[in-house]
Order: sequence, then C-alpha cells, then structure tokens
Amino acid sequence: MKKSVSIAAVVAAAVGLAAPASAFEPNRPVEFVVTAGPGGGTDIFARTIQAIIGKYELMKAPVVVTNKGSAGGAEGFVYTAGYKGDPCKLAFGTNNAYLLPVRAKVPYKSEDLTPVASLASDEFVLWVNGKADYATAADFVAKAKEGGLKIGGSQSKDADQILTSMINDAIGAKISYIPFKSGGEAAVQLAGEHLDANVNNPSENLGQWQAGMIKPLCVFKSAKFASDAKVAGDKAWSDIPTCKEAGIPIENYAMPRTVWLPAGVEHDVVQFYADVLRKVSETPEWEKYLADSSQSPGFVTGDELKAVIEKDGATVGEVLKREGWLAN
Amino acid sequence: MENIGLLIDGFGHILSWNHILLMVVGVTLGILVGVLPGLGAPNGVSLLLPLTFSMDPISAIILLSCMYWGALFGGSTTSILFNIPGEPSSVATTFDGYPMAKAGHASRALTLAFVSAGLGALAGVVMITLLSGWVANFALKFSSPEYFAVYFLAFASFISMGAQSPFKTLVSMMLGFALASVGMDTISGNLRLTFDIPELIKGVSFLIAVMGLFGIGELLLTTEEGLRFEGIKARVRLSEIGRTLIEIPRYWLTIARSTIIGIWMGITPAGPTAASFMSYGVARRSARDNSMFGKGDPRGIVAPETADHSAGTSALLPMLALGVPGSATAAVMMGGLMIWGLTPGPMLFTDRPDFVWGLIASMYLGNVVAVFLVIATVPLYASILRVPFSIIGPIIVAVIFSGAYQVANSVSDIFMVIGFGLLGYVFKKLDYPLAPLVLAMVLGDKAEDAFRQSMLMSGGSLNIFWSNGLVSALMAVALALLLSPLAFLLIGSVRKRKNEVVAPGGDGSPAG
Amino acid sequence: MIMSENSANGISRFAVELGVAALTGVFGIAVCYGSLDIGAGWTDMGPDAGYFPFYIGLLIVLGSLANIAHAFFKHRGTGEVFLDGARTRVVASFLLPIAAFAGVSAWLGLYVGTALYIAATMLFQGRYKWWISLPAGLGVSIFFFIVFEIGFQVPLLKGPVEAWFGIY
Repeated sequence: MKKSVSIAAVVAAAVGLAAPASAFEPNRPVEFVVTAGPGGGTDIFARTIQAIIGKYELMKAPVVVTNKGSAGGAEGFVYTAGYKGDPCKLAFGTNNAYLLPVRAKVPYKSEDLTPVASLASDEFVLWVNGKADYATAADFVAKAKEGGLKIGGSQSKDADQILTSMINDAIGAKISYIPFKSGGEAAVQLAGEHLDANVNNPSENLGQWQAGMIKPLCVFKSAKFASDAKVAGDKAWSDIPTCKEAGIPIENYAMPRTVWLPAGVEHDVVQFYADVLRKVSETPEWEKYLADSSQSPGFVTGDELKAVIEKDGATVGEVLKREGWLAN
Repeated sequence: MENIGLLIDGFGHILSWNHILLMVVGVTLGILVGVLPGLGAPNGVSLLLPLTFSMDPISAIILLSCMYWGALFGGSTTSILFNIPGEPSSVATTFDGYPMAKAGHASRALTLAFVSAGLGALAGVVMITLLSGWVANFALKFSSPEYFAVYFLAFASFISMGAQSPFKTLVSMMLGFALASVGMDTISGNLRLTFDIPELIKGVSFLIAVMGLFGIGELLLTTEEGLRFEGIKARVRLSEIGRTLIEIPRYWLTIARSTIIGIWMGITPAGPTAASFMSYGVARRSARDNSMFGKGDPRGIVAPETADHSAGTSALLPMLALGVPGSATAAVMMGGLMIWGLTPGPMLFTDRPDFVWGLIASMYLGNVVAVFLVIATVPLYASILRVPFSIIGPIIVAVIFSGAYQVANSVSDIFMVIGFGLLGYVFKKLDYPLAPLVLAMVLGDKAEDAFRQSMLMSGGSLNIFWSNGLVSALMAVALALLLSPLAFLLIGSVRKRKNEVVAPGGDGSPAG
Repeated sequence: MIMSENSANGISRFAVELGVAALTGVFGIAVCYGSLDIGAGWTDMGPDAGYFPFYIGLLIVLGSLANIAHAFFKHRGTGEVFLDGARTRVVASFLLPIAAFAGVSAWLGLYVGTALYIAATMLFQGRYKWWISLPAGLGVSIFFFIVFEIGFQVPLLKGPVEAWFGIY
C-alpha cells in the first residue's frame, strides 16, 4: 500500500514536469473538509485558500467548506478517506493527518489519504506569564527541574503535548501537561496564572503578549523569526531567541499546514491541486496571511512532501513510543 | 464615566443608514439560520465572512454580530411553535413556551420570549459598557476547578425533586452523561464508547438528540392525539402582542435574576445553554406557586430567554477583552477580526477604540432592531400554525431531516434522529423526564473535562475544589442548592401531614 | 422498541415499562463494558478516561433495575394501556413513512426524499389531490435547495437523480 502511493507520487511529479496542468479539472463543487472547528487555525487556513482561489479564479468549480473537527480532526479525515478515489474532496489539516492513526484507534490509516501539499508551517513559542520572574528560557529550565510546573495546551497527545514531552526529555524535567479544548483556553489560563507556561502558536497569543499579560521566552525554530516589525511594545518577533541558543536543546519543531486527497485518486488530480495551491502560495494575500499569523512560508509537494512527512512522522513517532501513546 | 463618552463616540461611528441597513440584513439572515435547526449562527457567520473582506471592519462586525443576535432570536421561535429547539440554548424555552403555544397563546409566548430576550441582551451590553475592564480581570480568575464548580452549580440549581420517579430521573440523566462521553475524550485523547463504529467517533451530537427527542417525539405524540396540533388554533391578534407587552413589567424580578445569572455565565464561559437551564431552574424553585411550570408558565419563558441572551451578549466581552472566544460563533468572528487586520485581545480597547465601541454601540442598536423585526414576524409565525397538520407535519419532518444531515453531513444522523424520536415519545408517555437528559448531554463532558483538568493540576487531590475563596463559595452554593430540595421535602412532608385535607390545586389556566 | 406482548386492547403499559427499563439496562451494561476497555480506575493523575462512564453505566443499570421493580409494583395488572390498536395504527402511519423517507434519502438523496415524502403524505394521508400534492412536494424540495445550496452554501445529501441534471 505504502509503496504504491510512493510510486504514484513519483509518477505525479514526473508527469507534472511533462504534461500541461490542465489534464484534470474538477467538474463539480470541490469540498474543503476542515479537520477543525470554525475559527481555529486550520479553519482560517482553508478559508484563506478558498478566498484566494475565488479572487484569482484559480479553479472553475466552486468551493464548499465544511467543518469536521470532532475527535481531534479524525472526523474529517475519516470522512475524506471514505471517498476513495474522489477527486473533489480535499482535507485540510496539520500533522494530525498522519499522527492520529498512530496514537488513537481511529478508523482510518494514513495510507487512506494522498498528500497533496504542505503550504506553511506554524511555529511554537514557549510563553510564560508576563509577571513571571524568569526572564530567559534558561531560568525556566532551572525552575522546571525543581518540579511542579504545569504547561497547558490544546488537545491531548497532540502537537502541544508532544512538544512538552520533548522539552521534558531534552532538559530532564517533569513538567506536567494539562490538555484544554483549544489553544485559546490555554492562553487565558496562562494569562490568569493558572498555568506556568504554554507552547502556543504565535497568532494564538499575540493579543495577550501585546497587553503584557504573557511574554515569550524562545521559539522552537532553527533560526529566529524574520519579521522585525515592533508588534508588542518595543518587541518584535525577531527579538525572540531560538530555544536551542536559549537553553532548551530542541532544534526545530513546527506544525505543517497540510492538504490531502483521498487515496486512489489519479496522479493528474494530485498535480492539479498541487498547482492550484502553488499559485495560491505565490499571491500577496497568502504572504499577508502568513505574516499576520507569523507562520513560516514553505510550499512543499510531491516527493519532497513525502520525505518531510516521513521525517516528521519518525521524530514524533519516537516521542509517542517513549510515552507509550501508541494505539496499536 | 469615561466609558459612556467612548460609547457616545461609538454611536457616532455607527449611526448611518448604511449601517442600519446592514443590521436589518444581518438580523434577518440570522433569524433564518436560527429557525432552521441544522444551521446555526456559526454557519451563517462563516458564510458571510468572505463577503466582509472588502468591508471596513466596523461595517463587517455589525453585519456579523447582528446575524448572531438574529440567530439567537430565531432559535426560540421553533422551540415555542414546534417544540424543536433551533439552538442548544433555546431548549429550556420549550419547557413552557411550547405548552403555552399549544394552549392557544402562541403570540403571547413568542412576544414574551422576544421581549425578555431583548431585555436580557440589553442588560448584557450595559454591563459590557460599564464594567468591561473589571469583568475581564474577574474572568481571568477562573480556572478548571472554578469551571467545574460553575457547571456543578448549574446542575444543582436545575435538578430538583420533580413529580417523576427519582429512578426515572436518574436513568434519564445518566443516559445524557453517557451520550455526552461518546467520542474522543479531551483529556486522554482516546476514543471511548465508540465500539469501533466509525459513525460514533464524532460523538453523539446534542442537536441530533434534541431534534429527535423533542421534535420527532412531539410529532409522534401529536399524531397519536389525532393528526393535528391539539389546541393551536390561535388567530393572530395584534392586541395579544400589545397585551403581552403590558404584562412584561410584572416579571421584573424574574428578569432581574435571570439577567444576573446570564451575565455571570456568559463571562465565565459556561455559556448561554448553561445559563438558560440554570435560570429556569432558579425561577421554578423560587416561585411561590410553581405548579404551572412545565405547563405554560410565563416565567418559564421569560427566565431562560433573558438569561440566554444576556449570556450570549456578555460572552462577547471575554472575546474582545481577552481574545478568547466564548462560543463557536465568537470563534468565527475572531477569525474575522484577524482577517480584517485586527488582533483580538486586550489591546483592542486601546488600539482601536473606534472599532470596539462601534461594536458595543451596534449591540444596543442591533438588539433593538432585532426585537422589532422578530415581533413583526410573530403574526407570520402564528399563521404557520393554521396550516393543516397533514402539510405542516411532514414539512417539519423534512426540516428536521435536512437539519440532522447538516449537523455533520452524515446519513447515519438521520436514522439516529428517528431513534431519538422514538425514545422521546416512549419516555414522555412513561413519565421519564427529558430535561435532565438534555442538560447532562450539554454540560456533561464540559464538567468532566474541568474536573479532570483540576485533578491534573492538583495531582489527583480533591482539595483543589476548596483551595480558594472563589471556588469554595461556588461549591458551597451548589451543594446547598443540591441539598435544599431534600430539606424542603422533609419540611414539606411534615407540613403535608398537617394539612392533609387541603386538595392539591393547580390545573387552572395560565396566570394573566 | 415496543414489546409484542399485546393484550386485547393494545399494548399494556406494564410491558412497555419493562421493555424500556430492560433496554436502558442493556445500554448501561454496554457503557460499563466500553469503559472497562479504556481503563476505569482512578490514577494518581485523577480519574481515567473510563472512570466516569463506568459509574454512569452502573447507575443506569441500577436505575433500570429499580424501574423494573417499580413497574411490577405499580403497573402490573392495572390494565393500563400504553397504546391501543387504533392509536398504534395512527402512530405507525406517521412513523413508517418517516422511516421510508430516511431510507429513500440515504439512497436517492434528501431532495428527492423530501419531495416524495411530502407529496406522498399529502396525497395519502392529507387526501389532497395529486395536482396539489406533487407540486407541493417539489416546491418544498426546491425551496430547500435554494435556501441551503444556493443561499447558505451548505450541501445536503444528493443522489443519482441530481447527478443526471448535473448537480452535485
């Protein structure tokens, strides 16, 4: 199964070079299945793409967006996977697409989906309360080793908790993790001093940072943010040090924003959507969306995408294994 | 009063014919999505969101927030007319609204609901105007233990020793809890009670349950009674609307109490649904003569509606002040804010006072517009009831089915609605109460999440529920409410033995 | 759902009370079983995923047993009728078309299902003429299409009939 998908991807990439992009064109409405509730990061991701496609008329067929965010997004992936070979269903998600089947007994496998593209990656920042007495990540690490700290995040055994586990492993601490329904809840709990830290994405915490209720310590990224506009007082995103240099030896941890088709679709279908999404990623609107939400650009498709997924899956899979969260 | 000045500036920003027109459009669309059971305010708001990209943020938020008000109003309509709650928060309105409509007073029930809802919303906005800064700080004090205490309080104030068998109440409530826990568990991230059935991983939707239990169940009962709406043959009389308007001040105490409950539940994001149930429970308990509750008591309409809307309105405050959405609709609007280039959060009040106070001013105007619009539709709704049952019955079924499908684009939900319909029908005939089931379904998993988060925070110690003044006070009030019926029961039974001769009354016509 | 223990004048309340209590009891057992599967203990980090569901299931079972006992005390031999013959027919005449509606919709989509269901109930139960019933059914269906599909862009379930017209 896995092999046939990779062959398809190779062929798709090859055909993409040779054939014109118009080999396939959807002749009926395309459904964008958002694997998150309305208003969340994935929802805005999908709806931004919908708006850009509409504005530049990148596709003749209309786009319908549906939210299927129950069970950590599994609802949407199961739904999409159920339309095997249907070229008009696109699922929008994160790395949860291939992590969910590993950590929970969900009724789909990652082979039931065909990766189309990854359009951006959302970064993770270590945030603490604005009144907290630690000024740097090193202070936080020292405190964490004493024990009793709490990190809150969105969902259980998902990106936030995996990162928490990686932090614990990297610095040899036992920070406990408290799952909430969304990153927004974790943000307020931190602002209210009920938590010691969270690892929210930049856009989830910007408002509280500006008000001085919380402050960033470091970003889990190999290089600092590029944007040096002053967003919070005299601070810019680029002022946040990387966690590695600040004392938490984690090189890079990001959440890709991914798009999927069901398994069993023709390669020219994958190619068509990859092309549309590539054009989306080249518009000024897309640039603005990334800048507003402080996500890193990076359009990846085809073989390269497969490699990224495999690498991410392996890294995270290790954490899941260590924590004993494997479902099967 | 610096805020008042800002508010007047806000009115300056929004008072234009264009904006009033947007309000009318927003409210009208909102009423439509509110009336249709499968569509909700989040649907409508997400749909309009792309349209607003080219608007200026103030116009955009006026359109979206007015849609939200409209949907809140629309949700009560079907509760009263057909016993089908259009929104989860209008379930409690069915308890007395539907019986009153059934008794021939549909216009009165609708007018009561709309006016008290409008009053509740206005009270919510006044609170936002006057207390925005203080309230935001108060909301920050709430963490998982406090949430649990609030949910517990909502249960405690609603559940009381009813006429029904305690075991039937128990079974009904526990069924609700069990249904609420189907699907993915937030705390462990594992699926539970899904029995490897793919359709169950998304959980059992609350909307499916209420559409079946109340909607289909009621249709079955009506059919059994003889294929027509028993008693709903009210002619539309404008005078009835007028008379109801005059009647409203009589319920000032209920309105005041419900407003407080609503505002409080809105700020601590327990939400409008919890607020409406709690307010209904409190109204019933505190009424001197509560024999008419459940049979068309006007206070049973006023209480949940006022609380629902004051909670819905106040829930926007945490969103604005802290950047936390208090509801799904608020979440979509927050996404909108980001797309319009605004950052939701505490700085919004300082960075864009024109926007924030424009929005607050539009809440005043929007709700007034909404109340006028919905009251104007009362004759229309009431006339729907004169359509023969053999036409309206099937149409209601079709609306329920399409709504059931839309909840999750799932065919299995249509069959589930029929299942719940049968359950509702049989339960009602056998005197199993449905309200505890519904309440448990709405609050069950939230309460459980809050409880288990608290346990994670405290490392498994229950003392966290007595760890500070706020949570201790909430728990104490909840326990007192929970135990008070027992005390009353004891006192009552003593009293009853003394006055054995007095015949139980209470099957007269609704008061007023 | 409804027990087949028919007395002379319909289904007795006693039978239905027992049937419903038995059903809720079985549901409770299923809940208990499902929770044991995922761990129903109390760990040092508070209750496990199955802790609350397990006791909820248990309470359902206990409540159901109490209701069975209650039925024996209160409803046995009272001759109380849950549903008599005539009413059973009336209820069935409403319920069966709904079930058929759901079945047809799963196969042909909700628009076709709605049109057929409304036309059929008006024709056979409302005793309207066919030239009123059929357009009414179609009309409601088209109204739904306009509101949902065009107005709010929320897709309803569609089947092969719409596909012939090029609507997906």
